[in-house]
Amino acid sequence: MSEKALKLKKQDGDMWIVVLTAALSIFGLIMVFSSSLYYSLSKFGNTWHYLAEDAKWMALGWFMFIVAANFDYRVIRPFAKLILVVGIVLLCLIYTPLGKTINNATRWIDFKVITIMPGEIIKTCLIIYLARFYADDPDRIHMRLWQGKGANRNKPYGPQTALPLIWIFALMGGCFLLIYKQPNFSTAGIVALLIAGIMFAAGLSWFFVAAVGAAGVAGLTLIMNSPSYEYMRDRITGFTDPFLDPLGEGYQVVQGLLAMGSGGVIGTGLGQSIQKTLYLPEPMNDFILAIIGEELGFVGIICLMVVYIALIWRIFRVSLRCRDYFGMLLCAGVGIHLSLQVILNIAVVTASFPPTGVVLPLVSLGGNATILMLAELGMVVNISKRSAAVNAAAKQKAEETAQ
Amino acid sequence: MAEEVKVKKNKKKSVTTNKNRGRLLVVFALFSLLFCALAVRVGWHMVIVGEERAQKAAKQQTRDSVVAATRGDILDANGNKLAISSTAYAVWVRPESARSNGKTEEEQEKNLLYETDRLAELLSMEPDAVKEVLMSEKKLIRLAKNVDIELAEEIRGERFAGVELVETASRSYPLKAFASQLLGSITDDNVGNTGLERYYNQYLAGQNGRWIISKDNKQNSLSYGTNKYYSPEDGYTMVLTLDQNIQYIVEQKIAEGKETYKAARVMCLIMDPKTAEIKAMAQTDEFDPNDPRAPMAGDEEIFDAMTTEEKVAYWNKMWRCFCVSDTYEPGSTFKLLTTSIALDNGVTNMNEGFVCKGATKVADWTLHCWNWPKSHGNETLAQAVQNSCNMVMIQLAQRVGIKRYFAGLESFGITEKTGVDFPGEGSNIIQAESSCGPVELATMSYGQGIAVTPISIVTAVCSLANEGKLMQPHFLKELRDSSGNVVMEFEPQVKSISVSAQTASNMLDIMESVVTEGGAGTAKIAGYRIGGKTGTASKPIPGGYSKTDIIGSFIGVAPIDDPQFVCLVIVDTPRIGKYGSTTAAPIARDIIQGVLSYMDIQPDYSNADLNTLNSGKTTVPDVTGQSMEDAIGMVAGRELNWRIAPEIETTENMVVVDQFPKAGEYVTKNSIVTLYYEFDNTNEEVKGPDTVLD
Repeated sequence: MSEKALKLKKQDGDMWIVVLTAALSIFGLIMVFSSSLYYSLSKFGNTWHYLAEDAKWMALGWFMFIVAANFDYRVIRPFAKLILVVGIVLLCLIYTPLGKTINNATRWIDFKVITIMPGEIIKTCLIIYLARFYADDPDRIHMRLWQGKGANRNKPYGPQTALPLIWIFALMGGCFLLIYKQPNFSTAGIVALLIAGIMFAAGLSWFFVAAVGAAGVAGLTLIMNSPSYEYMRDRITGFTDPFLDPLGEGYQVVQGLLAMGSGGVIGTGLGQSIQKTLYLPEPMNDFILAIIGEELGFVGIICLMVVYIALIWRIFRVSLRCRDYFGMLLCAGVGIHLSLQVILNIAVVTASFPPTGVVLPLVSLGGNATILMLAELGMVVNISKRSAAVNAAAKQKAEETAQ
Repeated sequence: MAEEVKVKKNKKKSVTTNKNRGRLLVVFALFSLLFCALAVRVGWHMVIVGEERAQKAAKQQTRDSVVAATRGDILDANGNKLAISSTAYAVWVRPESARSNGKTEEEQEKNLLYETDRLAELLSMEPDAVKEVLMSEKKLIRLAKNVDIELAEEIRGERFAGVELVETASRSYPLKAFASQLLGSITDDNVGNTGLERYYNQYLAGQNGRWIISKDNKQNSLSYGTNKYYSPEDGYTMVLTLDQNIQYIVEQKIAEGKETYKAARVMCLIMDPKTAEIKAMAQTDEFDPNDPRAPMAGDEEIFDAMTTEEKVAYWNKMWRCFCVSDTYEPGSTFKLLTTSIALDNGVTNMNEGFVCKGATKVADWTLHCWNWPKSHGNETLAQAVQNSCNMVMIQLAQRVGIKRYFAGLESFGITEKTGVDFPGEGSNIIQAESSCGPVELATMSYGQGIAVTPISIVTAVCSLANEGKLMQPHFLKELRDSSGNVVMEFEPQVKSISVSAQTASNMLDIMESVVTEGGAGTAKIAGYRIGGKTGTASKPIPGGYSKTDIIGSFIGVAPIDDPQFVCLVIVDTPRIGKYGSTTAAPIARDIIQGVLSYMDIQPDYSNADLNTLNSGKTTVPDVTGQSMEDAIGMVAGRELNWRIAPEIETTENMVVVDQFPKAGEYVTKNSIVTLYYEFDNTNEEVKGPDTVLD
């Protein structure tokens, strides 16, 4: 019985997601303007340079959001493999003359009309591909080295082999290396964690979860206790006190922490940040949270975090309610992606994680990531629409059957 | 049921399971936990250690600059401005900002070149010097200081990259090299360095204010954030007892005198005896306090070759105020004090007659009068002072005795510093009472073997012109705050009674007679009653006294019937004229005449004066037998010129043996009296054992 058989009525999507996303976008525009105003003035002689840039990305992003929210998400399913191939090709193009190098890092491809960031694009590609990969056969997450009961011999590869798992781990490793070599450790890390998260949602065996966790703990213990890894240990523990090297690597973090400290509980007021006056470099980018803290205080940051967790919850809620495996994993992927970005950004700004470049989604100055994040959220809204319709129809059918 | 159907019908349509939902909830729970942990972490940074971080931030974000208090002006007694403060600007440069002005390297180079040339043009500097500053590796460097407000506005208008204007206080002395040793100068940090600027620095300087303002990381002030202004308290305006006009007369006359007598230097101090207010104090040559470290004109080459230490020594010498800081041998002027002490102690009186035998034996030493083997013979007390007779002074001092003599010196304030409000007052060099023997007492009585500061001797003589009341000498008249209210006034203050009013009056008579009849005739001014005493002392050199170099001095009181001021002129090492009477006294006469005229004191001509004035004739005095020094003074006192025959440099031991025209002749004013002389080679004046000064 196909879904069509259920007589679907058109349903509204999850309006919470729309409202929260819009709220974050508008807040982002305001904070990008506030934080970049002085920097822009000193660099370009006008206050609105970065506001205009952010508005441009936001406009493109919202266009994608609306498109994604109104087109059936399932149309992309047949193209999942192609999408992944495109994503990986783009990643490889970085290492061709098309790659654009800024500050010793080659993270961009310059197509003259548009500069794209394959590291960001691959995230969306992977979410779509993995959703399709496990939706095609949820058993691909399992690995059984022996022939168990109920094994389906008709499947080209199945639970009896480790091939699907090995393929995904290989994909994870390959993407990680391609991005890590740019170098861009943070994006590589997020990509790896994103794949791991989706695999976990797809039902990765606890054995692997435990094994990976144990390996991690063992590795850390080894590093911490081995004299030969002293340098490594310093790198790992050093970030927790950036004030030890306030002018060196810790400069940005220190300036961010000073901004947050200046904000205190209620902040100095919108537009009143002093750290943004050329103390904190590029205040509208990765460290925008520090300026938000300075201007709006602890209260402001907590409110922002509540909005994020509410949005994340709504995404997971759509995922939980989705009967379609593909849709469920897509939502989960988007939710994990958004969560990882927010958590890592806050962790870096609060010196809880080594400083790496992670933008605060929808709030930091926009770029490729904004368009992709909004497109992903639009997709979630579309999934919510469809699953609401399916659930309503199923419920009606069930009631009819009961009668 | 429905699910099973779906799976069977569409292989590709997998359906979510509760296991997936469980996993999703686990993931969400994990993220929620991480959010909570991060919220705590944010709270820790913002609330728990927030205050500490905020302080750290404020430290880097604010500029705490000093708002300089305006240094008080220095005015003379009539309110003329001697030192004023004005606002100036210092030009500071951030070389890096200046170099990186422009989007392309070409543009930067072009802008930098323009900025260099334009700054050099505006500041009248060499382009190379500006370039050197702009190419500096320093973060912030000063390009120019003391830029006036118009120029500063022009520079501001150019909007140069990396150029900042800082307001500073600038001190200027509008009269330039005028009373400069007295006023002193200030350092680059606006602190009094020498003279009154130093002594009264705490009153002049005021209290600096502070300006704490938020700034961006390139030091530009922000329009928001912290902006606390603590206004400075301006320094007090200082009104001096000095009179600019008198000072001007003095400076002009001593400069002329220095030229006329080819002296090393000439000093002058004028004090009001009634209040001990210092009316003028000057010395040649004066530096320009606007640029106190520039060498004197003519010294540039020597100066440039000096080491730093030598330069410091040179500056200290240039800045040193002789009249307060240095001592000199007063010579015969000191006889005024000896006579006063004797009169006051009643050991002599105005009518007593003395006999000078030309020499006397004190202890094992034979002391001679200056014209020995001649002698002054019979003389009254006044005549003894007129003749500057050493024998009488010795007698007087011996009669008074060491104890009373020193008590007398003490009441004249000679034994200690005067406590004048000026930095670095010198101490008088006087034999200690305990070690003073008869020879020392005797030589001291006629002003030898001691050294005093000009300020102390003037203060002492002032008491004679003030009925014996010794006043506290001072420069400060009053202090006014920035709104003009008087916050401190110097009240004339009696320090001690030096002599009785009667003695003081007698002393004025004696001093007048020295000018009218004695050796200080060169200071005589027709129509005014002037009193005074000259002094000539050999210049001390290591191991004894110079045979050729002298210090001539004259101390005078004018007018004698109502003393308005006491004037001391000291001529150091004149090459023309060998006595106080031929050098210091004529300079003093010019000064006194100028000051009397400035004070609007009308001349009151005596009959003799009128005769002289009207007839243009005068009587030749009897100078035969006088020392050359006194003879010249007496001849000049009758408005006659003099000539020595045979012509020769005057020395100390010359005695007039004959004169032409003879005494009593009635001759035209300014005609020449020829003085014939003899050397008293036998008269090697015996110096006491205590007269060695370094």
